[in-house]
Amino acid sequence: MRWGYGSSLRHLRLQQVLAIAAVGTAVALPVVLVSVGGGVAAHELAGLENAGYQIVVSAAGAHGIVDSHNLTDRIRAIASVAAASPTLSLTVDVFPSGGSPTAVPAEGVIPDQFPATLPPEERDLFPSVLRLGDPTDAVHFDNGTYAGPASNDVMISTALAAAHGIANGTTLLIGGSDNRSQAVAYIVTGSFGAASSLLGPVEGSAVLLPLSNLQVLGGLATGPDAFQHDASDTIEVSVTGGSSVDPAALAQVRAQIQSLVPFYAVTSLGQEAQQLESASGVLTGFYLALSSVGLTVGLLFLALVLVRRVESDRRSIGIRRALGLPAGSIAREIVLDGIRLALLGAAVGVIGGYVLVEALAAWGSSGVRLAAQWARFDPVTIGAIVVGIVALSLLASGVATRVALRIEITEALR
Amino acid sequence: MSAPTPPRIELAGVGRTYRVGEPEAVPALRDIDWTIPPGEFVSVEGPSGCGKTTLLNLVGLLDAPTAGEIRWDGTPVGHRPDRERARLRLKGVGFIFQRFYLLPTLTALENIELPMRALRVPRAERTRRAGDLLEEVGLHGKERSFPHQLSGGEEQRVAVARALANRPGVLLADEPTGELDSGNAAAILALLERVRADRDATLVLVTHNPEVARHARRHVTMRDGRIASDVPGA
Ligand SMILES: Nc1ncnc2c1ncn2[C@@H]1O[C@H](COP(=O)(O)OP(=O)(O)OP(=O)(O)O)[C@@H](O)[C@H]1O
Ligand SMILES: [Mg+2]
Repeated sequence: MRWGYGSSLRHLRLQQVLAIAAVGTAVALPVVLVSVGGGVAAHELAGLENAGYQIVVSAAGAHGIVDSHNLTDRIRAIASVAAASPTLSLTVDVFPSGGSPTAVPAEGVIPDQFPATLPPEERDLFPSVLRLGDPTDAVHFDNGTYAGPASNDVMISTALAAAHGIANGTTLLIGGSDNRSQAVAYIVTGSFGAASSLLGPVEGSAVLLPLSNLQVLGGLATGPDAFQHDASDTIEVSVTGGSSVDPAALAQVRAQIQSLVPFYAVTSLGQEAQQLESASGVLTGFYLALSSVGLTVGLLFLALVLVRRVESDRRSIGIRRALGLPAGSIAREIVLDGIRLALLGAAVGVIGGYVLVEALAAWGSSGVRLAAQWARFDPVTIGAIVVGIVALSLLASGVATRVALRIEITEALR
Repeated sequence: MSAPTPPRIELAGVGRTYRVGEPEAVPALRDIDWTIPPGEFVSVEGPSGCGKTTLLNLVGLLDAPTAGEIRWDGTPVGHRPDRERARLRLKGVGFIFQRFYLLPTLTALENIELPMRALRVPRAERTRRAGDLLEEVGLHGKERSFPHQLSGGEEQRVAVARALANRPGVLLADEPTGELDSGNAAAILALLERVRADRDATLVLVTHNPEVARHARRHVTMRDGRIASDVPGA
């Protein structure tokens, strides 16, 4: 509407800017919250879907799973289990020739099971067949006697190889303590790239051993009083293609594993995904509820500004009515004006929210920055927010229209 | 297209009382019986506050009486709903106000087009008609001027053109020369007389200036909300 009589242009501009800013703030809040919240949830979900394994067996305490080799065999015997990979994580000491002993993280794995349970981006860091001698780790393990011949093969991270100039095919002393005399000589059979998320941030230095070798090094092969220990931390289970994305099938496999190990925790990532999804749904609802406070304030402001403008424009409205222009044409102008301000505000809010998230992604503190980087600007959600605010602006225009149509023509023209 | 014949306007027992807070009631008009034949040119005179504007607003259906009835060609119209009275005004009445009341954000041409827009006259036709009217009131070339860029006399000419836009049968002018100097006032009066005669329209001219009233063919004088005299002019 082109406003006129009785109103200073500067005041109207200022009010208009304030109304746009109020609506913009009201829109920016849900845009940021929903985009970041949805992005984080989507990121976590994608992580779960790409995990490479779908079920994890774990036990309380460090190295809490016992009888790992047998348990792994029994889990693998379950229909639709593709691979089961026990993992033991310890710190060991390596003795590079001429260097001082260095503590590095070590992972003990069953060579033919481990790659199958890795997520794709981590799988690429390793050769497709691990060069760790006996693929099933059964020879050295020898039914829990650890009496078979050990392969004594080790793979080391490229970072470790570079740091100490360790070449493939050379010998590397590895011990469970920094006592060199108790260290065992291993042959370096290959290297792998290091993902810091996988092996910890110790400068990417790490070694990968057959599970039985690391159990012996760490004293976790046999327990006290020759109690059969065969320890590991987790067993990651990957399920054959079809079942991995079917929550019901996944739940069934999980139950079968749980019946094997009643005292261990058996978690299915499908469950976690569902929990995550419902939690993110609840959060989104919460964000929108929170935003509704801002929206209410923004709309009140919009209504106030529209009413203010109607009042400062009493005379023009009176003239139009006096000429006989229908009430609808006056209402339409106010409604269009409200929609215009709401759309401008929404545009400011969407752009402002986007800029804010980008700024956080660039300059936020580490956690905030990651969350902001994962933010997802879903056009459907943002479109819904914009449509919502425009629809709600009709309420504000409605209030202003009522005021406009109650103006007494003869009084407005006195 | 020629203008439709103006309606015969009858006021029967019309009163208008303003209520400013319930106890005080201001009876601005009392018991008015008055008939304006089609094509009449009548002046309404009287002291300030005697009810001239109130009477004009009732005749033009801008306001509704609190007593009595107003008829156009015998049809009661005084108490019709706002929407209907607005429609009758839009098509049948052209108002000219003392303070011009042009819309300040519209150009001269747009001000004249406004009533036609409400009747959905096609754009090309309404621009042409508005241009012709502007020419008729002697403002050719001022199409794009905004009201603040016009002199008072020019503004009132635009207002006259706007009042004529929908070819109303009735022109109602409330002290149209009240804010103009004598030269401009004479010009506006001459303009009103001419456009009225060209169209055979009814013209009611409110004034408290006897000089102005002299132009009319019939003279009404009001006092205290009543018609004190109603005589044919010189
Ligand atoms: N909206 C209103 N509310 C209350 N009283 C009003 C209203 N409009 C007019 N009046 C009163 O009604 C009476 C008649 O007013 P009106 O405007 O018709 O007078 P007028 O003859 O046009 O005067 P003037 O020559 O000064 O224009 C006056 O006493 C005025 O104060
Ligand atoms: Mg008056």
